[in-house]
Amino acid sequence: MENRIENKTEQRRGFLKNIAASVVAAGALAPVSMSAKDDPALIEEPEWGKKLGLPVDKYLYGVPSPYEHNVKRRVHKLLSSGDMYASVAMCPIQDLEGIITPNGLFFNRAHGGVAIVDPNKYRLIIHGLVEKPLVLTLDQLKRYPSESRIHFIECPANGSTGWRAPQFNTLQFMKGMMSQAEWTGVKLSVLLKDVGVKPTAKWVLAEGSDNSHMGRTIPIEKIMDDAMLVWAQNGEALRPEQGYPVRLLVPGWEGNLNVKWLKRLEFGDKPWHAKEETSKYTMLTPTGKAVRYFWPMEVNSVITHPSPDKPWTDLKKGDLVEIQGLAWSGHGTIKGVDITFDGGKNWVEASLKGLVLPKAWTRFSYIYKWDGKPIILGSRAYDDAGFVQPTITEEVSKMGVEGIYHRNAIVTWEVTAKGEVNNVHVRDYKKERESIEKMQKGAKDA
Amino acid sequence: MLKLNRKTVSVFASIALALTAPAFAAEKEIKVKGPSFKERSIDGAVDYKVKNGTYAGVYKVNPQRDKIKGFSYGRTPTANEIKASDIDVRYDWQGLPDGKGTAAKGDELFNKHCSMCHGDFGAGGKGYPPLSGGEKSSLKNQLLDPESGDEPPHKVIGSYWPYASTLWWYVKTGMPFPHPMSLTNDEVYSIVAYLLSVNEVQIDGEDIDDDMVIDKKKLMKVVMPNVDGFYPDVNGKDGALNMKKFLSNPQNYGTQTVRCMKNCEPGEVVHIKNSLDEGIIPPVSEKRDLPKEKKSSGGDNKYAKMFEASCNSCHGNSAIAPVPGDKEAWAPRIKQGKETLYEHALKGFKGMPPKGGTNLPDADIKGIVDYMIEKSK
Ligand code: HEC
Ligand code: HEC
Repeated sequence: MENRIENKTEQRRGFLKNIAASVVAAGALAPVSMSAKDDPALIEEPEWGKKLGLPVDKYLYGVPSPYEHNVKRRVHKLLSSGDMYASVAMCPIQDLEGIITPNGLFFNRAHGGVAIVDPNKYRLIIHGLVEKPLVLTLDQLKRYPSESRIHFIECPANGSTGWRAPQFNTLQFMKGMMSQAEWTGVKLSVLLKDVGVKPTAKWVLAEGSDNSHMGRTIPIEKIMDDAMLVWAQNGEALRPEQGYPVRLLVPGWEGNLNVKWLKRLEFGDKPWHAKEETSKYTMLTPTGKAVRYFWPMEVNSVITHPSPDKPWTDLKKGDLVEIQGLAWSGHGTIKGVDITFDGGKNWVEASLKGLVLPKAWTRFSYIYKWDGKPIILGSRAYDDAGFVQPTITEEVSKMGVEGIYHRNAIVTWEVTAKGEVNNVHVRDYKKERESIEKMQKGAKDA
Repeated sequence: MLKLNRKTVSVFASIALALTAPAFAAEKEIKVKGPSFKERSIDGAVDYKVKNGTYAGVYKVNPQRDKIKGFSYGRTPTANEIKASDIDVRYDWQGLPDGKGTAAKGDELFNKHCSMCHGDFGAGGKGYPPLSGGEKSSLKNQLLDPESGDEPPHKVIGSYWPYASTLWWYVKTGMPFPHPMSLTNDEVYSIVAYLLSVNEVQIDGEDIDDDMVIDKKKLMKVVMPNVDGFYPDVNGKDGALNMKKFLSNPQNYGTQTVRCMKNCEPGEVVHIKNSLDEGIIPPVSEKRDLPKEKKSSGGDNKYAKMFEASCNSCHGNSAIAPVPGDKEAWAPRIKQGKETLYEHALKGFKGMPPKGGTNLPDADIKGIVDYMIEKSK
């Protein structure tokens, strides 16, 4: 059987070779008139078959094909705090494959511009409630035994334009404040054995060396659990946008806590309450009180194919098509993803595919035969912490719509009969309003 | 061979059929199991461990890692090095340096260094965050329907910030935006006094008037109106444990523990009414074509780069300062003559700080001004 297939393949190859030869010959000597059914891309010799390609020393650091120039980060004035130095460039997650984000496309959030720190002048200082304060150069830090981990980093404001209503019809601006890389560095619990953390130390201030002197408070439990000091992403040095030469990695936690351009760790007995954990990155609820220090990014998912950017307009009625997307949770490992075709009334189980890692993007897949009728597609992830992605109304009924951060409600796509895909919400405004008013009233009575 | 083919095809067809009509799970609801409270880490997450040399069941770990210590890299910092690095001010005022100032002096400094971005009295309106003008009572507002005309909550210093220490720390180390760490401690005291006064924050029940001297002792008495506006409490003896309690129960923040599989009632379909897609830069495109040739804008010269680094934070935004290339804005300025423009750039002029707040040599400032003029002719 196998032999026969092999023979067949060889026969086929020989056959194609003959055709190619005759076409080239015909093309070169006596052009045959192409019939309407023929695809010139096959009949004519492709452009690069007739000339030299680029010399190998053209790009000593490679760049993507120029044809992929539309795959890039994008910005929006409304998502800035006034200008492009305190703003975010969104990752084109609709164009990503697998679970790793190329370094040049990793989302870029800065609070005072991107610092280009001189690695020769880089110093990390560790002090406060420790037995032995320490200064390390970059080379000294990189001597510690290293580990590599694949984790997403997500800004807690990801998806925040969707609290009240859908507003963007592109995945890049709905969920592009996140990316994933393989990070390499040293686990803090390993490094700190030599520093000796005092038992009175309960909190750590991590501070960046950028314009904003970004400071964030981390509890000692996280520092000793899986926090790392990382100097590499996807096999090369961190990009300046990601905090070159060293950033803090707190797997699964708010992007802002993964302090970039890290220069200082201070151990203390109390939390600090920095600007980014009071004025910002706190979640105001309908009671008028705000949740502070909301650390992990909750269980979440989104269908990437199809999406407004990747519609089904080229599909014919009855075509088979893969529905796939990304699921992630800062609380643990994705256990499964459900899919709905009717806007969340009924659900079926999709399959996970590829690597399934803790606190990491996980791909899911469902092969579907589309009958050309409109559907409302959605995905819902759940994790091994026992947490399930909420509907919009479930989330809003608890948090209201003014919290800005940590929106992880189910995303739904309307697929029209033409195969166009639109961002729609499926929600019960009346129920939301009733819950919100009840909370507001309860707070007044209290 | 033919037979086999047919069989494959028919098997495939029946799969395809199943795909169009999803087989609904039998249960209406499935509860998802998670670890007990004890088995969770401080954020309510699964507490993964190293077992048999493998972390979380997926990453191999060198077993020496957790046994060995005694790497002797680096050195002990000097007392001076620690002092210079330790620039934070904690909520209990640990780290607040000595100094003093008044709101009157702060008013002057604010107009010189801050109001071009934050507006007069910090009231906003220039695209940058407003720093005043909010009521604490607004925090309960919820703007579910933007067309209702309801007010959203106003989260500014006086209405929202729980601690004044944060303001001192942030103004000192993060502002003014184009050149932080340039204000003296006394200047920061004055600006903080001013910002607290325009936010109507009191000290010991007293308004902060223009000439009240605010020093370390006085500032440490400030209790912000919204100090109790945040939960869970993390300052008490339970510390982060309260966060663990909060985060371990997803009901606290709307996340669920049950998968509804059948006849769920999520609500109505809502389409986009107010699209923000217009403002995306560059516009979204899935085309795979060759990029259009860009015309060189002469932006490669040395002074263009210096402008980008030192002046663009203000001169890139027409709400703050004249933007090079905006011929209308520049024509009357250019009319004043080059020497006047140099002078204004070097010595300062209204909202324009001397040298734009930099310490670049005069020649470079002049070079940048030439570049700005050239671009705006
Ligand atoms: C060039 C414009 C600019 C100037 C000048 C400027 N700021 Fe800012 N300011 C900003 C931006 C941008 C942010 C937001 C930064 C971020 O996203 O983290 C900000 C944030 C702030 C905040 C925090 C606001 C909040 O609610 O979170 C305070 C307080 C502040 N500035 C005070 C000042 C003071 C005081 C000065 C003058 C000494 C000043 N700023 C000068 C642009 C400016
Ligand atoms: C903190 C904000 C800020 C920064 C930074 C800044 N400028 Fe300005 N600049 C202004 C403002 C505001 C004006 C308009 C003043 C007016 O006419 O009211 C101005 C005006 C000017 C003018 C026109 C003066 C006139 O007479 O019309 C020049 C020239 C100028 N700036 C040069 C520079 C240069 C060069 C730099 C960088 C080294 C710089 N600026 C950085 C705020 C700034």
